Amino acid sequence: MDKDFTNRRRRELVTAAIFAALAALVPLFVKDVYVQNIMVLTLMYAALSQAWNILSGYCGQISLGHALYFGLGAYTTALLFMKFGVLPWFGMLAGGVISAVIAMALGYPCFRLGGHYFSIATIVIAEIALVLFQNWDWAGAALGIDIPIRHDSWVTFQFTRSKLPYFYFALVLACIAWLVTWWLEDSKWGYWWRAVKDNPSAAESLGIDVFNSKMGAAAVSAFLTAIGGSFYAQFVSYIDPESVMGFQFSLLMALPAVLGGIGTLWGPVLGAVILIPLTELTRSYIGGSGRGVDLIVYGLLIVLISLARPQGLVGLFSRSNPKKAVSR
Amino acid sequence: MTVLLETRGITQRFSGLVANSDVSISVGRGEIVGLIGPNGAGKSTLFNLIAGVYTPSEGSIWFDGEDVTRLPPAARCQRGIGRTFQVVKSFESMSVIDNVIVGALVRNTVMREARRKAHEVLEFTGLAARARVLASDLVPAEKRRLEVARALATEPKLLLLDEVLTGLTPTEAQTGVELVRRVRDTGITVLMVEHVMEIVMPLVDRAIVLDLGKVLVEGKPTEVVRDPKVITAYLGDRHAVGA
Amino acid sequence: MTAETIIQSLASGLLMGLLYGLIAVGLALIFGLMDVVNFAHGEFLMSAMYATFFLFAFFSLDPLLSAPLVAAALFIFGALVYLFIVRFAVRAKANTGMVQIFSTFGLAIVMRGLAQFFFTPDYRSISHSWLGGKTISVAGIFLPEPQLVGALVAIAAFIGLYFFIHRTDFGRALEATREDAGAVALVGIDKNRVFALGWGLGAGLVGLAGAIMAVFFYIYPDVGASFALIAYVTVALGGFGSVFGAFAGGIVVGLVEATTAMILPPSLKSVGVYAVYLLVVFIRPRGLFGSM
Repeated sequence: MDKDFTNRRRRELVTAAIFAALAALVPLFVKDVYVQNIMVLTLMYAALSQAWNILSGYCGQISLGHALYFGLGAYTTALLFMKFGVLPWFGMLAGGVISAVIAMALGYPCFRLGGHYFSIATIVIAEIALVLFQNWDWAGAALGIDIPIRHDSWVTFQFTRSKLPYFYFALVLACIAWLVTWWLEDSKWGYWWRAVKDNPSAAESLGIDVFNSKMGAAAVSAFLTAIGGSFYAQFVSYIDPESVMGFQFSLLMALPAVLGGIGTLWGPVLGAVILIPLTELTRSYIGGSGRGVDLIVYGLLIVLISLARPQGLVGLFSRSNPKKAVSR
Repeated sequence: MTVLLETRGITQRFSGLVANSDVSISVGRGEIVGLIGPNGAGKSTLFNLIAGVYTPSEGSIWFDGEDVTRLPPAARCQRGIGRTFQVVKSFESMSVIDNVIVGALVRNTVMREARRKAHEVLEFTGLAARARVLASDLVPAEKRRLEVARALATEPKLLLLDEVLTGLTPTEAQTGVELVRRVRDTGITVLMVEHVMEIVMPLVDRAIVLDLGKVLVEGKPTEVVRDPKVITAYLGDRHAVGA
Repeated sequence: MTAETIIQSLASGLLMGLLYGLIAVGLALIFGLMDVVNFAHGEFLMSAMYATFFLFAFFSLDPLLSAPLVAAALFIFGALVYLFIVRFAVRAKANTGMVQIFSTFGLAIVMRGLAQFFFTPDYRSISHSWLGGKTISVAGIFLPEPQLVGALVAIAAFIGLYFFIHRTDFGRALEATREDAGAVALVGIDKNRVFALGWGLGAGLVGLAGAIMAVFFYIYPDVGASFALIAYVTVALGGFGSVFGAFAGGIVVGLVEATTAMILPPSLKSVGVYAVYLLVVFIRPRGLFGSM
């Protein structure tokens, strides 16, 4: 049985490597800038959703306010760069650490709340942060921060002539998020989280410190999300509270995981690959944003998935019996 | 025989209701002790107090020479108290072996070791063939066994069994009894709450009878069963033989 | 800031608070009944506002008159939402937390998308209604009529709800199902019927609130979002499942909002409410009057 297990782990890694390699080759064939843009966003959301999945999928603490960490990452990078000349690479790390610390600090009061109460609290907290940033003049208030691009450079992580560097960075980010998840799946943390999700009191009786496990999940999840936010700031060169801390972002980080398979290794990736291009395409074909069709499509997908197939679409792709695939 | 677990003057109140009153019991190393009594006697409360789910209103609990009264359940598990739940609480989304691995992680932080331990426990409890099955797909009797397996994986010194034999068919119950004996043979002390007298009495070394929150009688099963106080508690006055 | 202005602000806050209570009570009712949070509650409100607007635009029906109609329509809608969506959501064996949240969440998103698609994101408002724009002086305090009537309707609704729950058969069935959904089948009560009617009632109440709010709020597809948050906060403050809690919570929220607006710049007025919510919930997770 152990052999089966190590084989499956190896297969997962190999599959990921193949996908990553294929993805890396795509830009050589696809030159259309518009399509490249969609690909960058898809990879970014895959990474973000994978990060969200760690706290909300594996550990079962459904956060609907993850935009907080995304925004913190974006703002930390932008502010450090614009006000203090700190390179985005350091800004990214700083953003990640700050987010992880705040996630743990918020965990103290929040993790005592169960289920819906926790989710609602996350919405409220993100909302407070949004309003505070909208009124924080030093950080640009509602107008946000404009990051002028001077010249293409990996040092300052800015590029105008091509989207490729952003693409490859996003690919690396998605791979890191996937690898972290893969590694955690077969670690004591992964087991603790799933136990806490399924039955916290049983988990306690088996010696698990429920609170600490949640904290760990929150910290890792927030850290990775913030890095995604930092990337986004450099990618779009302009951020404001509404665009990086708004509720729609919290939603957009959760949906790929829900669609693909919440609490699974591949779910967020699958969900992102389906959802993001779909969004962009509906937006351009139905004409202009604000017509709501993308919302209707999302919404229907979410309702259908949660009612008809709560385990997500990922099970459709496994060769063996979907239920067996989950167990070892 | 050294004392492994001791409760001293445990009184537990739940907003006005006294569930346990001045309960002092002890369990010796290597014993199988049965905690019995009619409905509402306070067995579950005492059980949960020992497991750490509640903190007693008065009194103290001593385990392996240490005062564990204030310790939460997770800490008690690490000290060596394992427990099952009356209403089975398996990790439904995980497989049988993954469930047991969760337990094994207390003492085996390296994944390979935890897996190995989990395999061992599955063999011991007869669930090896069902290792890859999702917990939600098990039949009730198997789920019970999984509860025990999971707790065993934590390598406890004391195993608290909450009505593990209730509601089983005679064959299943016999397998259960055998399992409990084998558990004790590995050196684990067992304290079991039970309802079904015919099954439990031949199994336990000592029986403690609770009634109305107090310890009524304790001693060898054969004696306890014939004690008029016990008969009265279960069946009412008219059945008492001699007072 | 004079004492008069303060009293003025607080009075307005009180009126708004009663309306918040009316919006929130439906949510509290549903949650108390079956432990499900309706994440589409804001969108229920939004659709009631749009319905009121269109009844006004096409039939010149004053909101005060169309309110009962809108409430009835929302009642039916709420029952349908239960029967076609929520009923299946609560049966989920896997990922129960996710299913309960995202099933109604998905509905909220669909409703918002539909509103955007059919009505465009443009802001609408009801240009002239019987109550709109008028104020009345009560003991020297100037109160806007729509809000005043809204508050009175809210109070009437709460009183009506109280009698309904405690004095009628259906109300008692509601309470019984709340206590033990499994057991009621034994006395011949169809759980699904009770739940559907419970959802209908909850939706109808927020429909009533929506009809009144259409008189003095702008109507647009996302309008539900901000009020939904206030509703969750109100219910969490008052205690999930407690009808009286929603009433009390609403008043607290209204007053806190008014007070915050006096101290902080207007764009920050919601922060006060959220902060109070977080404070209450962290200290007393089940809210002021909750029974969980």
